[in-house]
This record gives sequence, structure tokens and C-alpha cells, in this order.
Amino acid sequence: MVGKVEGANGGVKSAQCGSKATDLSASNTSCFSLKTLKLKTKQQELLIRVSILCLVYILAFITRLFSVLRYESMIHEFDPYFNYRTTLFLTQKGFYEFWNWFDSESWYPLGRIIGGTLYPGLMVTAALIYWSLRFLRFAVHIREVCVLTAPFFASNTTIVAYFFGKELWDSGAGLVSAALIAICPGYISRSVAGSYDNEGVAIFALLLTFYLFVKAVNTGSLAWALASAFGYFYMVSAWGGYVFIINLIPLYVMVLLITGRYSMRLYVAYNCMYVLGMLLAMQIRFVGFQHVQSGEHMAAMGVFFLMQVFYFLDWVKYQLNDPRLFEAFLRITVTCAVGVGALALGVGTASGYISPWTGRFYSLLDPTYAKDHIPIIASVSEHQPTAWSSFMFDFHILLFLFPAGLYFCFKRLSDATIFIVMYGLTSMYFAGVMVRLILVATPAVCLVSAIAVSATIKNLTQLARVKSKVAHTGTGKRNFWCKGFFEGEFPYICAHIGSNMGVYTVLHLINLCLSRGMVLLHCFLVPFTCSVDMPLIAHGSHQKHIHLPQLSWLQGVLMVTGSFLMITVKHTSGSGKNTPQDAKVMSWWDYGYQITAMGNRTVIVDNNTWNNTHIATVGRAMSSYEDEAYEIMRSLDVDYVLVVFGGVTGYSSDDINKFLWMVRIGGGVFPVIKEPDYLVNGEYRVDKGAAPKMLNCLIQSPCQKEQLEDE
Amino acid sequence: MAISAAPLSLLLTLLFSLLSPSAPHLLRPRRRPPHSRVPIPVWRHPPLRPPRLPLPHLRRRSPPLLATHLLRRRPAPRQVRTPAQIAPIRVRPPRLLLHRQQRPRPFLSLSKLFFCDLEFRDAQSSFSLFGVNALPHIRLVPATARNLKDDSHQMDAGDLSRLAESMAQFVESKTKLTIGPIHRPPMVSKTQLTVLIAALLIWVPFVVKKLISGDTLLHDPKVLLAGSVFVYFFSVSGAMHNIIRNMPMFMADRNDPSKLVFFYQGSGMQLGAEGFAVGSLYTVVGLLLAFVTHVLVRVRNVTVQRLVMIVSLLVSFWAVKMVVSLDNWKTGYGIHMYWPSSWQ
Repeated sequence: MVGKVEGANGGVKSAQCGSKATDLSASNTSCFSLKTLKLKTKQQELLIRVSILCLVYILAFITRLFSVLRYESMIHEFDPYFNYRTTLFLTQKGFYEFWNWFDSESWYPLGRIIGGTLYPGLMVTAALIYWSLRFLRFAVHIREVCVLTAPFFASNTTIVAYFFGKELWDSGAGLVSAALIAICPGYISRSVAGSYDNEGVAIFALLLTFYLFVKAVNTGSLAWALASAFGYFYMVSAWGGYVFIINLIPLYVMVLLITGRYSMRLYVAYNCMYVLGMLLAMQIRFVGFQHVQSGEHMAAMGVFFLMQVFYFLDWVKYQLNDPRLFEAFLRITVTCAVGVGALALGVGTASGYISPWTGRFYSLLDPTYAKDHIPIIASVSEHQPTAWSSFMFDFHILLFLFPAGLYFCFKRLSDATIFIVMYGLTSMYFAGVMVRLILVATPAVCLVSAIAVSATIKNLTQLARVKSKVAHTGTGKRNFWCKGFFEGEFPYICAHIGSNMGVYTVLHLINLCLSRGMVLLHCFLVPFTCSVDMPLIAHGSHQKHIHLPQLSWLQGVLMVTGSFLMITVKHTSGSGKNTPQDAKVMSWWDYGYQITAMGNRTVIVDNNTWNNTHIATVGRAMSSYEDEAYEIMRSLDVDYVLVVFGGVTGYSSDDINKFLWMVRIGGGVFPVIKEPDYLVNGEYRVDKGAAPKMLNCLIQSPCQKEQLEDE
Repeated sequence: MAISAAPLSLLLTLLFSLLSPSAPHLLRPRRRPPHSRVPIPVWRHPPLRPPRLPLPHLRRRSPPLLATHLLRRRPAPRQVRTPAQIAPIRVRPPRLLLHRQQRPRPFLSLSKLFFCDLEFRDAQSSFSLFGVNALPHIRLVPATARNLKDDSHQMDAGDLSRLAESMAQFVESKTKLTIGPIHRPPMVSKTQLTVLIAALLIWVPFVVKKLISGDTLLHDPKVLLAGSVFVYFFSVSGAMHNIIRNMPMFMADRNDPSKLVFFYQGSGMQLGAEGFAVGSLYTVVGLLLAFVTHVLVRVRNVTVQRLVMIVSLLVSFWAVKMVVSLDNWKTGYGIHMYWPSSWQ
């Protein structure tokens, strides 16, 4: 263990040293060349740009290493444990075994077809990195690879952000956006070392797809569109958030069509990207035929057909040469097309061929939907709506820059800036609905803010430069707005009238950055705190082993969640300290992944909440009287019940805290369970004055005993 | 339901459950067994009985305990009143009526539950009888109740916002009554809907034509800009949070009800006004930056420029400072330096 950790750190250090070395050599060459080779200004600029990018790349990586440096190289939280377990399986058994893996250890008695119900992108990526490192004779453990995957991809994201910014505005905006995305807290919190989750690679894939698509729209090149289709494929393989892409891009195309910006470039880019991307995405088993069958993907298909209609009309117009004939034709075609489309959609939906939207999608469009209808979505803390303080924590100064960036984008509308504005606004809206979607909004906010910063600074520097040449300028015309911002008479006007503006604007920016904001410090504190949340709990706990001497295999769980209780349901003959190999553990679904990954024991439900009824059964068992619960547990063949109880250690997010959600989810399927039975005058009490049913239900009684004994 | 419509919740709604072992003779349905589980549909409006008509059972029989109690506490009862005159407990037109299919003749005899509102001004002493100290307050008084305070069931204050469903749930959980489907008249009636759809269908071709010709508001960048800034403001201010959680704009202070609380301390939760205030601060600073760098430079008068510049600097300084200090206060998360230990 220790050796492995050292190995990982060593690996990191060597990586850092390597990058430092390249950096040093870069700066050496710059000093050297500046004096002797007399680089031209353009070359100097290139050199500076590349070295800044290298620094940003390294910065993005090392900012996310706090958790490893402070504690040890380990996987965090809930889902990453599952990802780690599957990656381990993939590297040990090979790809085909992984693809066909039926996991009987989770969702007992049902089991779960892992290969068909996950997004394999993350695991395959990590395994590829692992295999290539092995091939290069680096003896790393797969866990180290998993721990460092997210920071590595965050670094890559900065590069993509640079190119995206460059495509949208100019290379200055690219540099700023790379720097911003490297340290933006909203992204850091999901990509610290050890947070081995889909989002880690998915944000990279998302931004890459968008960048390649915008590039394809700007150039009209088939090659870029193809690349964007592959980026989309990677995104689909990595994260369910791909639905955002497949809805945003059609929406963007639609807006371009409405605003009269239809072009051949757009046609090529969208068609190639959609058709190839769809075909590729179908190769992922979890997604399968959803692209042609699910209501969430129908927008993309509709826009695809609309594009064909547009192109066809264009062609007919060219052929006919008669406006009146063409108009008649247009009228008929549009009516027919819309009618056929609506009919197809109606028939598809009615016949059940096109599946309706999923709950998560609904809850984005109608935010109050989840609260009323799907407790299992509403219960997750990541799915709560966002308060302003969360925005402040995750974006900080970027929030102030965003409106300015919007303004600049609108002042220089192009296909690319329209895209970033739409991406920014839609993702901001979604971020307001669910806390976790702040992550999706982060790249957009960084890019728009980068445009604001870059445009302002560029404006200033141009002022400063033009000031010296100002003597010979003529007066400006009023209509300079029509032209580009930094061309024409604009600088001259500025120089003419605002010789002291620069100072003020600089002051303004400095004011923003430094007036008690200390943004940078904030950005570096965030990974610090992000890394703390998990082991800090272990610090506070007493780690009592009173009840459970035989449970050492769960020490990992103990470390993560404070303290827990284990109730033996059946008498098992296993002597020794561990539970038997084939023990079935019932716990609330939060702990499922960890129990299987760390403890290697079978669980009834886990964090992949695919079967609501099964979870509701567990919720019902947890909230029933012990004798009723016993029957349910016997029917599920449960050997042990795991209850996390923080009353002794002061760990607040324990099962007692989550208990009402068990009642709600259980009650959603089994109306026997009623929430008011667990409340006293509508109040949730857990002390002696709690409701009688509450005091005697399965989950509560051992906790109460524990508490009383302790007192 | 009725509760939300009451004037600033100076209202105590009482539910009298007459269905109890001690008063089985009261108001029993004639054809059904007393504990029939047949769902009884609930009509929310309109009232089926003139609002001011006293309940017939009050005329006929001695009223249940609670009613008499309250009646006697009525301010200044100078003359002996016949039961027909009793309206002090302003019997609310029943919005939640239990009735059966063949109404209306015997339907009152089916009423196992009736409602009454108490106004604080009229019946202060009744309020103290129930020990009410916060409004709105909903209480179910079974006919068996001897002691009003202890024997009656109070409805959870947190449920009040959920209205009809929670009321039905509350009544169902406390009595043996089954409450049938709640009829909600749709926002627009069917005819209105047909008219609307027809209007929409007529309107669509014109819109499409306009869209194609390109002279709608959508083609005006200024409108679009304003719209997008609004979307930004909307999400950043946590308006979605307010909608989803039904957060009020402000609350009354718990310690001093005359004061209003606009800011809620604690992360992950916010009040409406708070979010909008902070959101507008963000927006103002951002737009000022854009304004200063792109609009102000067009102004030819240097003094005006300088003045506006100074003002905008001050404003943004103040706004940023405000937001950061609010954030620190709200979340308790402050940014601090790690100084070397020798410096302290």
C-alpha cells in the first residue's frame, strides 16, 4: 500500500519535474534566442503563448493534487468506487469479459448487467492509460491511474479551452479561458485527484465536441465535422450528459436557421456530425437505439430533416428561377414537411415506438416535476436547486464578468459567438435547476468571461499603443459600430477622447479582482477544501468497534462515513473476523457501491438506481417494525443490515438524517408506509419524543440502543 | 384552499369531526354504514349552501362541546340567541364538502366534518383556548374532545403550503373518513382552450412568414441581449430555487414578528428577495464593465467621462464588496491567508 502510494507520488513528481524541465528549457531558449537569434515579434508572441499554455497545463494538474498530497492516493465518495471496481475488472479480465459482465454481487437477487448499463468511456480511458504505461515499463497500480485520471483530463481541457477561445474570439481570449478553466472552482470540485467519476473525462469530451463542431461550422470542413462526431462518440461513451449536446446543437442550428444564417458550412457540419455521431453512439450498449427511439433525441432528428428541407428548397429555388412558382412550391413543401413530421412524431409516440422523456429530463424542463413525482431524483443532494451562494462559491469573479462577456459577444455576433452565448445561457439555466449542472456551465462561463477580460484588456492596450500615433488621425464617424471593434476608426476615437480612460479601466479591473475578492486564493482554497471532506470525518470519529469486532472488512466504510451499525439477520456460521464471503448486506443505496468495491460483499441495492421498486422495498424494510422488516429481509435473503449512525461520532449525514427519504421512496411504491407516521406534529424528531413508529422501526431501534448505551 | 386566501392568515380553521363513538347518533348517513370506505368526492367550489345559513344540526340539537364553548366566548352576548342566530364562528362555506351522489337533500346529514374559521379580532379568547401562537393554524377537533388544547390535532404548519392534498391527507390520517378525488377546475376551460388553439393555429403562419422575412423582435440584437442578460440574472439569482422550493420573498423574524428577515443565513437555502438582490448586484457590475469599455469611450466630454467612470468604479467596488461580505456572512466561508506562523 505504502509502496504504491509512494509510487504514485513519485510518478506525479516525475511528471512535474518533466514539465518543469521543459519549461526551464523553454525559458532558457527564450532568453537565449531573444538576445542572439533576434526573434521577430510574432515569434516572441508565439513563444510566450506556448509557455503560458504549458504553465496553465501544469497548474491545472497540480491544483487538483491537494487530496493526494494531504492524505493519500485514494478514491473518493460513492460512484468512483464503482468505477474503480469496474476498471479493475476491465484490466484484469479484458475488454470482452467486461463488456459481457453480469454482476451478481449487486442488486441481489436481480443482479445487474454491468456492460450494458454503464458508460464505459471512463474505464476504457483509464485502462488504456494503464496499459500504455505498462507497455512503457512504468510499474503503476491501476488505482494510481484512476486517481490521477481526472486531473490529467482537466489539464487537457485547458488546451481545448484555449483552442475554443481562439476560435470564438482571439488567442488572447483563448489563453485567458485556459487559465480560468484551470482554476475555476466549479470544475475543480469535480475533478480533484481521486474523484474518479464520469464527469472528469466528460467535461473534456463535451468541450472538445463543441469546439470541433464550432470549428466545423466556421470552416465548413468535413474533416472537422468528422472529428466532432468522434468527440461526440467519446462523450456518449463517457457520460449521460451527452443529452445536453444532442439537444443544444440542434437548438443552435435552429437559431441559425431562424436568424437567416443558414449556410453550406452549417449543412455540412451538422449533417456529418449528426449522422456519424448517431451511428457511433449506437455502438454504446447503454445508449443503443435511443437516438432513434427516445423523445429526448427527437429534436436532433427533427432539425436534421429540416436541414434537408432547407437544402432542397435552396436547390429548387436555384432550378426554378421563377419567384412565384417557387413560393407556391415553398408553401406546399413546408406544409407537407411539417405535417408529415408532426404525424410521424404523433404516431411514434402513440404506438410507443418513441419513448417519452425520462424523469431527469422532465425535471430540467419543469423543475417542480421531480419534487412531486420522483422522490428518488429529488432525494439526491446533487439534484437540489442552486442558491446564489453556490453560484458564488463555484464561479466567484466569473459571475461579474459574464454579463460583460455576453455584451461583447452580442456586439460581435458570428456563428461562433452565437454558439457560446447559447451554450452559456442554457447551461446557466440548467445550473440553476440542479447544483450538479454547474459543472456543465463552467466551461461556458469561463469562455464568456475570458472574452470579457480579453476584449477589455485588448481594448486598453490598443488605446495605449494608438495614443502615440494619435497626432495624425482624422475624426471618427458615428457609425463605427458597424465595423469590427478593434478596427477602423475606433482606436483613434478612443485615443482622441479618452487619453485617461485606460487608467480608469485598469483600475476598474483591479478593483474587481482585488476588492476583498482574492479570487485566486479562493480558487486554490477550493481544491483544498474539496479534498478535505472525506477524510476529515474519519478524524472526528472515535472509530468505535464496540458492536462489531467481526467487521474489519468494512473499515473502509468506517473511514468514509463515521460509524455504522451492523445488524445480523441470520445466524451465520462464519467464525473469524470477517463476514462470510457470500454474505448479503442490506443498506440504503448510498453505500452500495462502497460495500461491493471495498468489502467485496453482495448488496441488495446500490447507487445505480435503476430499479425503483427494489429500492422502495429496502426503504420499506428500513421503516417497518422489526418483525415486519424481518419478513421482508428474509424474502430478500439478507444476512446483514448496515446502518450508518453518526450519533456517537457527531457525523451528521447518517442514515437517521436520510431516513425520511427512505420513508418517502418506500411510501411511493408501498402506500403502507406513510410519512406522517414518522413525524410528531409534522416535525421530524429523533430523540425520545419521536413518533412511536419511528422509535421502533428497523433502522432506528439499534441506533437508539446505541445512543442510550452511550449515554 | 381557504387558508391561503384568508386575510394575512389571521385565521384559525377548525375542523370538527363529528364522527366519533360518543356521538354516533349525530348526522349518520341513512343508507350507508357509518364507516363506509366509499371515496367521497370533494368539491372545492362553489359552495353548495348559502354561506350564512347556520348549520341545521346546530338548530336541531345541542351543538357539540366545542361549538358551545366558542359560542359562549363570543364578545358581548347581550341577549339569548336562538341557535339560528349563531354565526359567531363564521361558518365558512364549506369548500371541502363531503357529500354523496344523491345530493342535495340529505347531504348535510352525511357531513362528518365541518369547517369553521375564526377571526382573531372577533375571538381572541378562543385563540388562547387552543393555545395558538402562530398563524395560519389548522386544527381538527373530534367530537370526543374534552380538553380543546390536548384532545384536538393540529395540522403541521409546514404542510399548509401544500393545501388541498395535504388537507385531505391530514383529515384522512386523523379520522376514518375517506376523501375522494379533489376536483380542480382547469385554468382554462375546454371552450377557451379550443379558442386558444384556433387562435394559435391562425397566428402561426403569420409568425413563420415574419420569421422568414426576418423582421421580428428576435432579429434585434438588443432585445436578444436584454433577454440573455435576463436569463443570466434569473439563474444566478437562484429564482429556480425559489420556484422549486416555494420560498417566500421574505420571512417575519421569529423573535420579533414586526421585523422582516430578507437574508437567510446558511448555505443551500435562500429567500426570494435575497437572491434577486445579489443577482442584480452581479448584473450591474458586469454591465458597468461593458458600458465603461464600450459606450463611455464614445462620450466626447472628458469631464462627463471621468465623472461617470468614477461613479461606476465606486458602484462596482461597493457591489463586489457587498456580495463578498454577504457570501461570507451567509456561508461562513471566508477566504483567508495562510501567513507564516512567525508573522502572527
